[in-house]
Formats: sequence, C-alpha cells, structure tokens
Amino acid sequence: MGNITLGRYIPLDSPIHKMDPRAKILGMLLMLVAIFFPAGWTGYAILFAAASLTIILAKLSFTFIWKAMRPMLYMLVFLLIINSLFLKTGTPLFTVGPFTMYSDAIFQTLYIAVRLLLMVMITTCLTATTKPLDMTLGIEDLLKPFTKIHVPAHEIAMLISIALRFIPDLIDETQRIIKAQESRGVDLKEGKFMERIMAILSLIVPLFVSAFQRAEDLANAMEARGYAPGEKRTRYKLLKMEGRDYLLLICCAALLACMIWLSAQA
Amino acid sequence: MKAIEVKNLSFAYDETSTAIKDVSFSVEEGTYTTVIGHNGSGKSTVAKLIAGLLEKKSGEIRLGGLELNLENLTAIRSMIGIVFQNPDNQFIGSTVRDDIAFGLENHCVPQQDMDEIINLNAGRVNMTKYLDKEPSHLSGGQKQRVAIAGVLAMKPKILIFDEATAMLDPQGKDEIKRVIRDIHKESSLTILSITHDIDEVAHSDYVIALNKGTVAMTGTPHEVFADEKKLKEIQLDIPYSMKFSGALRRRGIRTENHLTMEGLVKELCRFNSTM
Amino acid sequence: MPIQFDHVSYTYSTGTPYEYKALNDVCLDIEEGKITAVIGMTGSGKSTLVQHLNALLLPEKGVVRILDRTITAGEKPKNLKSLRGRVGLVFQFPEYQLFEETVLKDVAFGPKNFGIPEAEAIERAKKAMAMVGLETRHYEKSPLEMSGGQKRRAAIAGILAMDPEVLVLDEPTAGLDPYGTVSMMSLFSRLNREMKKTILIVTHDMEQVFTYCDNVVVVENGTIRASMSVQEFFKDSSYCKEMNILPPALIRMKEQLIEAGFEIGEDVMDIDRLAEAVARQVKKHG
Repeated sequence: MGNITLGRYIPLDSPIHKMDPRAKILGMLLMLVAIFFPAGWTGYAILFAAASLTIILAKLSFTFIWKAMRPMLYMLVFLLIINSLFLKTGTPLFTVGPFTMYSDAIFQTLYIAVRLLLMVMITTCLTATTKPLDMTLGIEDLLKPFTKIHVPAHEIAMLISIALRFIPDLIDETQRIIKAQESRGVDLKEGKFMERIMAILSLIVPLFVSAFQRAEDLANAMEARGYAPGEKRTRYKLLKMEGRDYLLLICCAALLACMIWLSAQA
Repeated sequence: MKAIEVKNLSFAYDETSTAIKDVSFSVEEGTYTTVIGHNGSGKSTVAKLIAGLLEKKSGEIRLGGLELNLENLTAIRSMIGIVFQNPDNQFIGSTVRDDIAFGLENHCVPQQDMDEIINLNAGRVNMTKYLDKEPSHLSGGQKQRVAIAGVLAMKPKILIFDEATAMLDPQGKDEIKRVIRDIHKESSLTILSITHDIDEVAHSDYVIALNKGTVAMTGTPHEVFADEKKLKEIQLDIPYSMKFSGALRRRGIRTENHLTMEGLVKELCRFNSTM
Repeated sequence: MPIQFDHVSYTYSTGTPYEYKALNDVCLDIEEGKITAVIGMTGSGKSTLVQHLNALLLPEKGVVRILDRTITAGEKPKNLKSLRGRVGLVFQFPEYQLFEETVLKDVAFGPKNFGIPEAEAIERAKKAMAMVGLETRHYEKSPLEMSGGQKRRAAIAGILAMDPEVLVLDEPTAGLDPYGTVSMMSLFSRLNREMKKTILIVTHDMEQVFTYCDNVVVVENGTIRASMSVQEFFKDSSYCKEMNILPPALIRMKEQLIEAGFEIGEDVMDIDRLAEAVARQVKKHG
C-alpha cells in the first residue's frame, strides 16, 4: 500500500491545501476539458507551465508526480508498439527488415504521453491537497443542483465518506485473517491450483462475513443516532469560497478559453 | 414515573425459534438499571427492541409514557441514546469532532450551535484534547467515550449501554464504568446497562436477570445476589465478597450479604473487636 | 527444552513515517509443559511477541528457539509450514476465520493443510470438536448458524485438530460470558494436564492468570518487565501495584483482611484456606 502515490492525500501546509474543495474540483474539470482540445505544442507548453506552477505552490515534489506517472509508462510502451505497427504516415525514419518506423507513430505516442502527464499532474494537484472528507463534501455540494433530477447527492457523499472511514479497518482485518489462516497452514504464495482456490476462499469468506457484521453494526449505530436517508439534516462542516478560490476558477476558465482559441487557429 | 415499561414483549428472529418470550419489566426514571444474563439469553435483543432497532412480534413498550410504534418512532429515538459493544463499528465520523456532530446533523441542530455542544459533551467524557484525532489513533476506551459523547449530545432521557465495555481492556473498562457512573450522578438520566461486569451490577440501583429470553429475576443487587442457587442455575456469577461469605458460612460464621469486600471486612472486624 | 527469545527486536513498517518499534531486545525463557500467561497493556507488544512463536513474524534482530527449531534474524527460515503445524496459534476473535460450509470441514481444514489424509483429518476434527464440547449434531451445521460461543469453540477446535505441541491463544475468552470463560479456561487446563501441551495465553484477566496459569510474563513497551511463577507474582499485591494491575479478588480480599488486623499466612492462596483462617480467628474471639 505504501508505494501507491496516485490519488493519495499529502498533508502539507500550502495555499492550495487551504482552498475550497469545490473550487479545486471545478478547476480540475475545466483543466481536463482543456487538455482535450488539440491546441498543439504551444497549448501544451502553457498547460504544463500552469500545472507545474500549481504543483510548486502546493509544495509537492516532482518526484511524487513521477512516481504517480510510472505505472502509466507500461501503457505508453504498449501504445508505441501498436502505433509503430499500424501508423504508416509522416516521414519514414528507419527500416529494420520488413518494418519501417514512421514519424507520426512517435508523434502520436508523444502526444498522448504529454496529455497523460498533464492529466496526472492536474488530478494530483487536487487529490494530494484535499482531505478525502473535504473532497466528499465538495462533491456533495457540487451535485446539489442535480438533486432536482433525483441525483442522491447526499447519499453518494455519505457512501464515499463511510467507505473512506472503514478502508483502514478493513485492511487491518484482512491482515489479521491472513495471519490466522496462515497459522492453519494456508499458503497464499504457492500450492496447487485447488489449494490456491481454497486459500483465497479462506480469506474472502471470513472477510465478507465480518464486513456484513460491520455493516449491520454501523447501520444500527447510524439509525440509533437519528440518521434516516433522504431526511433533511444540517451540516457541521460548511465550505466557504474565498477570493483565491474565485481567482483559481477564473485562471482555469481563462486557460480553457485559450486552448479553445489555439485549437481554432490550428 | 416509569422511564421504560415493557409488557408481555415477544420477539423472534425467525419462525422456528423465539428469542424473547413474554418479557415484562419496568424501569423507574433516573435509576441505574443493569441487565444480566449469559450470552444468548436475549439481553441485547431486548435493548434493540427498546431502541426501536428491531420490530417486536407482540407486547408493548412504553418510553416516558409514550408507546413505541411506527408513528412515534422518531420521537422515541430522540429520547434514547444507545452505545453498542464494538468501538470501531459505531465510529461514523472521520474525527472525534465529526463523529459527535453526526447525531446533531441528523437532528437538524443549526450549524452555528454545534461547536458549543461538541465541546461541552467531549468535556463530559474527558475527550476535549482529542477532538481532531482520527479513530485509528484512539484506544478502544477512548472510542467508546466518543460514542457516549455523541449520544449525550443529542440530549436523550434514557441511555442504553449494550455491553459497552465487553470488548475493552481493563483500563478501558474502568474508564467507561467511571464515565457512566459520573453521568448518572450529575444528571437525571435513566441508565439501562447490559453487562457481564459483576462490579458494575453491584453498583447499580436495580437488576434484571434474563434467561432463555424470559425474565428470571428482578430486584436490587442485594436481592438478586442473595439467591445464589437460582443465579447458578442461570449460569451467572456473584460478587467475590458473597462467595467468601459462603465459604465462611460453611465454617459456622454467619455474615450479612455484602456486595463489596470493604463491607464484609468491616463486619468481620466488628465480630473480632466486640467479642 | 524451553522456548527462548534471545535479544529479539521487531519493528513494524520500517523506513516509513509509521515506523513503530514493538519489541526491543527481548530475552525470555518460556517453560515447556506449563501454562504461561502473557500480560501487559494494549499496545505493549504481547501480540507481536506471540506471533514470533509460529514465525508469522520473523525477528528483525536476535534469535527465537522453539521446539527443535532456531529462527535467526536475517536468515530465511526453511519449511515454516511444519513449524506452524506444531505451534498452534489462535488469534483474538477466532470465530472470524471460519469459512467452510460445515463446521466439521472447517475444523478439518487445518490438519489437511499440513498434509494429513482426508479421512484422518476428519477423525481428528471429530476428536477436537468433542474436546471443546461440540456434539455430533454440530458436525454438518454451517458455522453461520452457530452462536458466538459455539463459533469460538469451533475455531479453537480447528487449531486443536492440528494436534500442535505448543498452543498459543491471544485473548481466547474476550467477549465470552463468565460461564463460557470458565469452561474455556478449564479446557486449556485439561489440555495441559492430560496431553502435556505447552500453553501460552495472552490475557487481561488476572483471575484467569491466578487460577489457571503456572507462570506469568509481563510485557511493557516492547520489553519484558517480569517473568516468574504465578505464585511468586501474586504472593502479595506489590508487583501488581508496581505494574498498575488490579490483583485477583482473593489477593485483594486477603490484603484487606490483613490490613484489618487478621493474621493470614503468605501461603494462603485459595478461598477455603482463607475462610478457614478468618473463621478460626473470629471463633477464638467469641
């Protein structure tokens, strides 16, 4: 678990960390849309500069971004192979036996690589600087206008925050069950096919049983404390948009406009 | 005034067996009542029925004079606070503060009043220092204290503890027992505690012993513990001071029934000095 | 040969911000053929200590000697599985490890994993179930249909069916009622007496330590605070007071009586002899 960086919250004290999660989520969405306009290399250079600036402001390190990017590299290598096999436009670069490499294969892959990198940079700016709970609150508030068309905004937010609350407990539970079954001679790493299946069953079944028990306890506790889905309730944590949050949104919107203009020029 | 009245209550989890059979008892307002019984005797089921978390098959439950039924459920729920056994599975918020706020949000308490209520109730269970801690950084006893604060914040009239100390270590058990006792002393709350803890039972005002889904004994701790034979029959323990009195009785020394060692030793001293 | 911990240290999550030293230079001998209680506060390192016994955790520093095996820090131990069959470890709330469709199958799961043929594993499972007091009518039941106490027994039977030489139990009576606790503890006592099993019990309950155990090990902040016979440990309440432990009821009763002026010998360690001593003195005055 320790080496997954994509999507993890990094507790730091930075202006970006202090921003309203709604502004950050909306800003991210605007930027993600911006990436998909074919604004050419100039456009990507501008976006890259903007994303880098945000990362610096958020006090995040570029190695952190690199680590988040690393799992994507396999995908890119795969894409390069596919592209070089099927994309036969642009200038031929070199020939090995029956195979000729064309410039477009390289460019296309690079293009996607740059977009992917930008996406990772931008989403990390959100996830690494926003506490999971604040994120849920932000999502709830942003979804609120859609409750009119029966989007259960509050229920979705409650679901996410409870899931976040119990993930560490479930990880602990899993480790405990693994150890308990290992003590009964279960070998999770080797064994014949049937033994492997039994080993996995011996984990999954207890995990399910205990998760259901937990769910029942939790439902009782929530009900006993007056929770009823769909009922009106107040909220303890209120979000407040400030000057810098609006500034962020204006910047993001400006960047999007810039990308649209650039792609119209091309 | 009766805080809880249960009349001819029956309940079954499935068709083949009855979990609760014709149970009747009442609890006076402001008293500290303990419910004892071996595992499977129906203690927790009774608690869940009273809190409206299970639906009775037949019989009647009244809380503060109000009958528990579907129409009154919300009103009844706001009268009752219940603390469960497992410290982890009832911690809903991501921090202590958020967890205490959870019930307030449900009761539509205005946001600007919440901080005051949270601070007040965290103080009552001695958790003020931990308000911004996450549950993974708290001990079992601390988590149970948060659960109590969360329930107290909703200003209930009746507090139910469903084996709230069963999963705690000795330190945690002591913490929680002390908090319960303090709350009872400083407020007019009616307390119903389901427990295996003999020491807690000895300190309560009234005891209800369940066996196989029926009421086997009721009375003050003195009265209930006096019937040693019956207690043994329903697989329940007695305080050590009474075991020791029994051992003395077999050697021709008759003492009164004492729920605490201190009381017994005092009486034995009197024997020694006056004779 | 005793079980030995020789300068054993263990750290969780080494090299991360969550690094946590759970055992620190532990040296300890555990007598074979006895029941040893492992006590200490939550988070003191008790569970970490006992998980070294069947090599679920391997020492980061030092050596663990158990049965005829030596587990040295830094060496990859061979054939861990055979050790796990000989040292049965029962986790806290073991009822959560049941997963087969029937109780009998679940109890036989352990022995089968250790290479016992199906038929013999079933035989062993039946014997183990009888030992923990689960009757034949429970064989074909689903674990989900059983009560909490029965599930606990079934899970313990699952370890007993492995026929381990050493039995390690992490808070085996947590959440049981007083009656369930007594019958569970009597079972361990019987296993020790009749089958000569070495037993380690992690517990918070001093009555259990006092009534059923031979030796006691106190773990504190990842080190061994004390290791001695139960008799020595409870000869008066001084050790308990020092370690902030509530002494067993008998010791508390005895100390209060002594304080009140009764004369009671140091060797009085059961309720009958204590009552005898008090009765004699009361009668003498009368």
